[in-house]
Amino acid sequence: MSAALEALKASLIQAREASSPQQILDLIPYSSFIGAEAKVEDDAVLYWLDRRSSNIGNPSLPAIHGGVIGGFLELSAAIEILYTLDVNEVPKVVDFSLDYLRPGRYKTIYCSCSVLRQGRKLVNVSVTAWQDSPDIPIATARCHFLIA
Amino acid sequence: MDLKLAIFKPMLKLAMERTGHGAALGFELTKVGRGEVEMTFPYKAEVVGNPITGVVHGGVIVSLLDTCCGSAAITTLTKAAITPTMDLRLDYMHPAAPHEPIYVSAKVYRNTSNVIFCRGSAWQEDRENPIAHCVATFMKVDTPSISFMNIVRRRFNRLIRGDKAFEQEADK
Repeated sequence: MSAALEALKASLIQAREASSPQQILDLIPYSSFIGAEAKVEDDAVLYWLDRRSSNIGNPSLPAIHGGVIGGFLELSAAIEILYTLDVNEVPKVVDFSLDYLRPGRYKTIYCSCSVLRQGRKLVNVSVTAWQDSPDIPIATARCHFLIA
Repeated sequence: MDLKLAIFKPMLKLAMERTGHGAALGFELTKVGRGEVEMTFPYKAEVVGNPITGVVHGGVIVSLLDTCCGSAAITTLTKAAITPTMDLRLDYMHPAAPHEPIYVSAKVYRNTSNVIFCRGSAWQEDRENPIAHCVATFMKVDTPSISFMNIVRRRFNRLIRGDKAFEQEADK
């Protein structure tokens, strides 16, 4: 168990040094299940989710599954913590609150996160997702993670 | 026995279990009643969120509860409409045990003319000791896009144009 923890820590440190949040995403099987990707752009991390048929929720519209949007935002928030903060264990999600503002159409979804507060035990992260332009958000989320 | 529900139940099962993300996750709707839906999700290694412990990602619980609450919301409709999620709030009580199935249930507790209020929970061993609890609200939207003729037209368009039709629809 502790060997696995050490290996995780080493990969996280390596990913931060290489400025590659994608390397952290690759450690988590769920990210390739939905197809989430990440890169650093203008000193912030940009996450995106290309369209794929296994992410469709309503085939007659077609719209992206609300659960996929939620899962993607939660995943991005966790990666943001692992990449930007000095946290070397997978953070535990405590609560997650999601507001859907517009339907997620069948095209790429982008999102960006910001850590609003980091305490000793808890971190609060806010996440915004968009498709056409950051000014037209499709969903916003707020989540708390335990890091200790 | 509710006749409408008897016809509706296999359709809902088909739509949720066999298409898109539902098919990718591979859950099963085990109970469908008016305003009440239950599901079972078998453990899957592809959706792990913590590579060390093997616990499934929280996003899976979001998808399961969203689908379950959404399905419960649809069962309360009396005329054709779609029920997009307005908001979803989840509280995680404890991490899910790996390699064990997850059970999910959802119940509509208030149904108004425009909004459906729903709550759901996910558990493994003990229903009284859930992994997660959620409340979700859904809007009732009556859109022309779900009329029979429009669905037929779209399906036909996709048959002819393939992926181009999806791009067109996404840009609308």
